[in-house]
Amino acid sequence: MSVHNSINTGKPITLTIDGKTCQSTFGKTILEIARENDIYIPTMCYLTKVKPIASCRMCIVDVEGVDGVILSCQEKATEGAVITTETEELYKERQNIMTLYNVNHPLECGVCDKSGECDLQNKTMEFDVDTQIFTTRDQHRPVENWGHVSYDPALCIMCEKCVRVSTEITGDEALQLKFGGYSSTIVNIKKEKNYASLGEAAAVCPVGALVDTNFKYTTNAWELEKIPSACPHCGGGCQMTYEVKHDKIYRMTNNFEFTSLCGAGRYGFDYDNKNVSKDAKAFAAAVEAVKNADSILFAPQITNEEALILQKIKEKTGVKLISGEARAYQKFMQAYAEVTGKTLYSGRLKGISESKAVIVLGTKIYDDSPTVKYHINMASKWHRARVAYMHPLEDLEMKNIVTQFIKYEAGTEEGVSALLVEMLLREIDVPESVKSFLSDLDIGNLSAESNVGEEELEALRKSLIKKSGFSLVVGSDLYAHPRAAQIAKILALLEKYADFNVVCVPPAGNAMGVSLICDLDDDAEGLTVGYNVAADFTLSALGDGDLDMPALNQQEGTLTTNDKRVVPMNVALPYGGYVLNDIANALGLNAEYTIEYTKALPADKGFEALEFDSLPDYFDTVGTEHRGYLLSEQETALNETLDEIAELDGFDGAIVYQCNPKEQFSAFTSKCEPITEEVFLSGSKQFATATKLSDGESISFIIDGVTFKRVFKIDTSMKGTIALNPCYDMGLSAPLVSSYRFSRLEIMQENSKIGS
Amino acid sequence: MSLEQFKNRNVGTQNYKTLDVGTKPEKGMAQFVQVVQRTFKGELFVGLGVTMKAMLKALFANDMATIQYPFEKLPISPRYRAIHEMLILLESGNYRCIGCGLCEKICISNCISMDTRYDEAQRKEVSEYTINFGRCIFCGYCAEVCPELAIVHGPRYENASEQRAGFSLFEDMLTPIDKLNLQQEYDGFGAVSPNADENIKQTPLAY
Repeated sequence: MSVHNSINTGKPITLTIDGKTCQSTFGKTILEIARENDIYIPTMCYLTKVKPIASCRMCIVDVEGVDGVILSCQEKATEGAVITTETEELYKERQNIMTLYNVNHPLECGVCDKSGECDLQNKTMEFDVDTQIFTTRDQHRPVENWGHVSYDPALCIMCEKCVRVSTEITGDEALQLKFGGYSSTIVNIKKEKNYASLGEAAAVCPVGALVDTNFKYTTNAWELEKIPSACPHCGGGCQMTYEVKHDKIYRMTNNFEFTSLCGAGRYGFDYDNKNVSKDAKAFAAAVEAVKNADSILFAPQITNEEALILQKIKEKTGVKLISGEARAYQKFMQAYAEVTGKTLYSGRLKGISESKAVIVLGTKIYDDSPTVKYHINMASKWHRARVAYMHPLEDLEMKNIVTQFIKYEAGTEEGVSALLVEMLLREIDVPESVKSFLSDLDIGNLSAESNVGEEELEALRKSLIKKSGFSLVVGSDLYAHPRAAQIAKILALLEKYADFNVVCVPPAGNAMGVSLICDLDDDAEGLTVGYNVAADFTLSALGDGDLDMPALNQQEGTLTTNDKRVVPMNVALPYGGYVLNDIANALGLNAEYTIEYTKALPADKGFEALEFDSLPDYFDTVGTEHRGYLLSEQETALNETLDEIAELDGFDGAIVYQCNPKEQFSAFTSKCEPITEEVFLSGSKQFATATKLSDGESISFIIDGVTFKRVFKIDTSMKGTIALNPCYDMGLSAPLVSSYRFSRLEIMQENSKIGS
Repeated sequence: MSLEQFKNRNVGTQNYKTLDVGTKPEKGMAQFVQVVQRTFKGELFVGLGVTMKAMLKALFANDMATIQYPFEKLPISPRYRAIHEMLILLESGNYRCIGCGLCEKICISNCISMDTRYDEAQRKEVSEYTINFGRCIFCGYCAEVCPELAIVHGPRYENASEQRAGFSLFEDMLTPIDKLNLQQEYDGFGAVSPNADENIKQTPLAY
């Protein structure tokens, strides 16, 4: 995970640590090599996932032939070095550091939330600090409430971990150091809601200085049962742990040393389907409905196993499987595979964080997939990577890392991809057919239609010269585009010929797993059964359908992540009703538990025949991920023919962009108390003028057959005539909104005016 | 080795003496005479005299030898571990309990259950607290571990109840505010030792 691991020049070296001969490669720090070899060096401020902070000096070691002590966390090991990690002097030095950390540290361990998992507590005990020989005048430092996290400066030990994660990982640079010697503190310069950075900061805080306000003082750490799982919201499948007591989730934690969680992952856990019991009558009706159904509509918020059950039902009854977003993604990836010859995209998240340039196309990535944005941020912070952000809307929250924003007209993605690929492949040898496709492009016309200036692309090209290691992140604007297949083929050229690390970020939920496992159909017909989608008969984990289903934190199974990994999820909360597997069994399939399908996941799509219970779920001491398994790439048939670019169909007038806010992905996250916010159609002043809407006006409009009733709100930070319309709050209707994300705003007539 | 030698219980030299208990009368009349003789000996009246003296003392001198349980109870050792009490601070009347949860953790019969919350004064406060006396084995660990001497064992030892599970809530165990003057400092298990002051190391106060 950690990137500074990887900047090694690869030359093998041999060194001795505490008498043990260690083989490693040049470029790694002494601490990293020690950890690889299971040698313990105490640290207080070291956090593997960021660059060494070097504020605590606990990691000091002796190196033979070097005067004084060496900070092992930041010093690269050299060939033949002889290192001692434990001597009488080092122990005394470390003991003194701990004694100083404890000066005026409030003796409130009895009520402190961190008690029991506190680094300061542990190291104080470890170094046997039982008396305090230093003193200083205590100062009044009141607790600051930063919203959902509170900060107690009196407990803060100034290790700077929180500052580093908000800079290097989440990237909004919300937390900063205020220097002042003994009265140094951490300051929060982003006052608005900031779930991700503050949540990450609270997670990495080694003491009780940063604590979730909702969790504060509600229980002791040791009373909570820890259930390892994966986050089901955005498709990132991030590692996380439910902490449960008395059948209630108290908080989410993660292996913060190596991984990160976004706000939705950390605070969006309260979506379980509560108080469900077995309703035999509804169940019989459900079995009947599925038996007679012509189509099953389902949301992508399901496990791989459930997707397989649906597929098996399809094979049995011939029912059509409809899942809009997943279907679009499936078609996009099929076209993509026709060029690359492989079922999966080549990129990995780690590849993004290690690249020297990242191009983002067709996604509001910070809102669509925060973890991908974090990896782009890492690339920017660690390698000063060029970040080109191509989208019709500028994202101000990414301004600090985006080096070039290239705005294009909504709807012209095909032309934009062609322009981009033409520019990037200009100096690369490609087969004749591709070459002729590229040279036949009418650059001037495309550029005029899409509004992407040739000089902009030229600037991008120049900035990439003499660099290597590029990533391309594409997102769901492209998947439901009418020309998605063509766009996929064009972009696949970059992976195939320019060696780009391409990540096609799947839409929210387990869309990637669904697209690999199910044979999806395009259009629904006849009698419909919906699974978390409104239909003639609705199975719902949201608690408002005809038969209750368990939510994803109430069932076990696997998810397929955007990092191409199949990860296990475990049961956090009890559930008393029927599950999809019961319906499948009533229809003649035979499996006692849903997880019996784990080993039956399709091998021809890259899944492995492994039992659910045999899937590993841990990180080793150096942070290598051992969670589930990686999907393997499968060969597919090639078909590299590229069509001519279609007439670019730009939009004019007021446009609505389907985009959920950062902490929201689906009807499930919208159920979660800690991250609720008001829903608006938000647009710029220009948008208001174009549509003659005033701030606070309530309007209704229809997209994909779903009627939205929205209050319009002017967002002064936005520009242009594109407004953002979230759809996560639409409950069972939300998954129906799956066509191209930009659409013309057509206000329905019976709008009523309020507030004006 | 055979089993025989274990069966022989007459090991060693025995030196028993036989008491002269006379002979048991066999005829009916002789038996009757023996009963009468044994019943009406002079010692009977010695005993009756003692009883009479105690009765007169109790009736007229108000000097009872027995106590009138359950109306009266004997004083009990401070180290006795009976039904728990929750003490409050004499100065402010606040709970001593800080909600640290150590009693819940240490309880070996898992009979203590508590919930805490963040109160308005930004302090940790106990919101729910129950002890299941059907499970409690009165081991005293909770009182010993309590850093605030908040949960202690009181002297109330009558635990008879109609059913096995018997729950006690925080408020039930708390010293009533109007009986604050009657609250006794706890001397039992886990209390501060009489020489505690000598054992505490002074923190430096250089300013």
